[in-house]
Amino acid sequence: MTWASFPYFVMLCCGLWLAGLLLLIPKKKITERLSIALIIAGIMALSTFIAGLWVSLERPVFRTLGETRLWYSIFLSVISLVIYYMWKFKWIMVYCLFMAMLFLFLNVLNPENFDKTLMPALQSPWFIPHVIVYMISYAFMAAAALVGIKGLYLSYNSKPVEGTMQLADNIVYIGFAFLTLGLLFGALWAKVAWGSYWTWDPKETWALLTWLVYLLYIHFRVHKNQHVRLALWIVAISFFVLLICWFGINYLPSAQSSVHVYAS
Amino acid sequence: MEEQGQAPASKRKFGQFPWNYREGISIAAGLMALGFIIEFATGSKGVSIPAWPTNLFILLLFVGYVLAFQILVKHPVKKWLSSTPAAITAITAFAFLTLLMGFIPQSDKNTFDFISKAGLTHITRSWPFMLCSFNLLLILSFTIIRRILPFSIKNVAFTLNHLGLWIVIVAASLGSSDSIKLNMMLTENKVTNVAFDDYGQAFETNINLKLLKFSIDEYPPQLGLIDARTNKLVSGKKDLLEVKKDYKAIMGDWTVSIIDFIENAQKDSSGFSPSAAYGSAPAALVSTFNNKTKETDTGWVSSGSPMVYPKNLDLQDNKAIAMTIRKPKKFASEIRAYGKTTDYEDFTVEVNKPARFNGWTIYQSGYDEPMGKWSKRSVVQLVRDPWLPVVYTGLFMIMAGALYLFWHGRSKNTTKKITI
Repeated sequence: MTWASFPYFVMLCCGLWLAGLLLLIPKKKITERLSIALIIAGIMALSTFIAGLWVSLERPVFRTLGETRLWYSIFLSVISLVIYYMWKFKWIMVYCLFMAMLFLFLNVLNPENFDKTLMPALQSPWFIPHVIVYMISYAFMAAAALVGIKGLYLSYNSKPVEGTMQLADNIVYIGFAFLTLGLLFGALWAKVAWGSYWTWDPKETWALLTWLVYLLYIHFRVHKNQHVRLALWIVAISFFVLLICWFGINYLPSAQSSVHVYAS
Repeated sequence: MEEQGQAPASKRKFGQFPWNYREGISIAAGLMALGFIIEFATGSKGVSIPAWPTNLFILLLFVGYVLAFQILVKHPVKKWLSSTPAAITAITAFAFLTLLMGFIPQSDKNTFDFISKAGLTHITRSWPFMLCSFNLLLILSFTIIRRILPFSIKNVAFTLNHLGLWIVIVAASLGSSDSIKLNMMLTENKVTNVAFDDYGQAFETNINLKLLKFSIDEYPPQLGLIDARTNKLVSGKKDLLEVKKDYKAIMGDWTVSIIDFIENAQKDSSGFSPSAAYGSAPAALVSTFNNKTKETDTGWVSSGSPMVYPKNLDLQDNKAIAMTIRKPKKFASEIRAYGKTTDYEDFTVEVNKPARFNGWTIYQSGYDEPMGKWSKRSVVQLVRDPWLPVVYTGLFMIMAGALYLFWHGRSKNTTKKITI
């Protein structure tokens, strides 16, 4: 399987997801079950593509931004299911699946090459856990950002935000755990590959900054009722920092010498 | 941590206890400003962390000071030092400097402009960074002491995260001057013990290394359609064709087929032929068919090597088919190491697979890149980092804390059960 068959998989996957979302509208048990089944089928279609691509490229599919976008879509959809299962938030599911579809379309618009090469530094057992853990974290943080924006909307309209804050806390905590693991796996890997666990490479700097802004959110939440609005702003804005770390960095002058720019 | 932030700020004069965000912001901003002034006044040299054993004394002094302060002093500032507003303002200041680092290229090339004079081109070594880190560490220290004494099982996650971070910050910063990184240039069948630091200064090390063999595995080269005037790719990267016999692809107006591929070839009168000679280059016999004009072409294409001149297949409209230089898949050095006491030991180092010998960790770092697979030289990096086990202890504590955070998360209701 190659990128040539990707658009068909995207159509299949998005079709299943959209049908699944539509079936969430009537509040009946049977349509809800069918909806979940369709969404899972969409995830399976996407997983099949990733598995096929992995086999055809003869290397893990984590190297390029396009490849990480694939994983991001998968994790977003899985996480939306988990959040739905635990807390029954339909809007999270809608948002996460649309976000996942957006990332799939980005890949259709910017087709990737068939490049099989994987530079020696990336050939490590740390490669897969490092990227997967980060993508899971990013997916959680995207959900947290949306919860934050909803909280801001409620707050500025003088509506109660406790429930929303609790959800934001839960998501950020899980996302932060993965963010921490991703950062530290990166450090352990860097030691083996380059001889230092931390070199203040631009990507590392931005990753630390991302970690710090979420750390700020968590500390703001120590006193639950204070500075709620500021905390909500932080969780929404932190996601921008995260996006700079993930994509934006390729355009920053400070990052032109980064060892993390692999796709050029 | 609970009561600190709750005094209404409006009824309290600035500086009057209990302190809150206003004081926190002032302290953090004041320290940063002071840092910039010192940096500027001391000629932008930054701070150098003393080496062993002075760094250990500094650490003991710091811990002793914090403990003594905690036990002996009853001032309300003690409560402030372990408060959430103090933590938040200290983290913000640190994050601000990290943000600057994220935008300003960290290299001291432009030594005359204002940015580098303020230390912003070497932030991690600058005074503002040092003072802000110190502030963070101080607050972290008091927070830890207050929460973990007396120890309770409820505080496991808190301890793992905070103490782990404390250990990482202390060991990584104070230990930085004890770590040594040297580059050693090895040539096949020659023994050397001389290595160079980043500034080019030579050192005699306690190990002698001999490069037995350097080897590279390469990915197959690729063919692409280029503009013959600029040598730039016309087709996108996704249209590159991996060179393998009988492979075919469409590039622009042409269908390109690979008739033959020789991994190691030399030029001769008929084009290219297989050769085992030093410096041979990959070469492919390619035929093209123009889908518009129906013209065909056949010819050799080679990426060249240090010994062989590259060869393109010229087409109409100033276009040509060219071959990319092969990318390394894996490179490795077989090394024989002689210590002062040991006889000798053979090992192989490659990227992501360092070796250990006589207290050094040896990393494959580079080779003679213009020579590519014909390189007879290898650059290895020798690293010694005595504080590494301490740093790793902290890292693993934070990881355990993160896992704990993942399993337990925030409590399901608003009452506080677990705090990190």
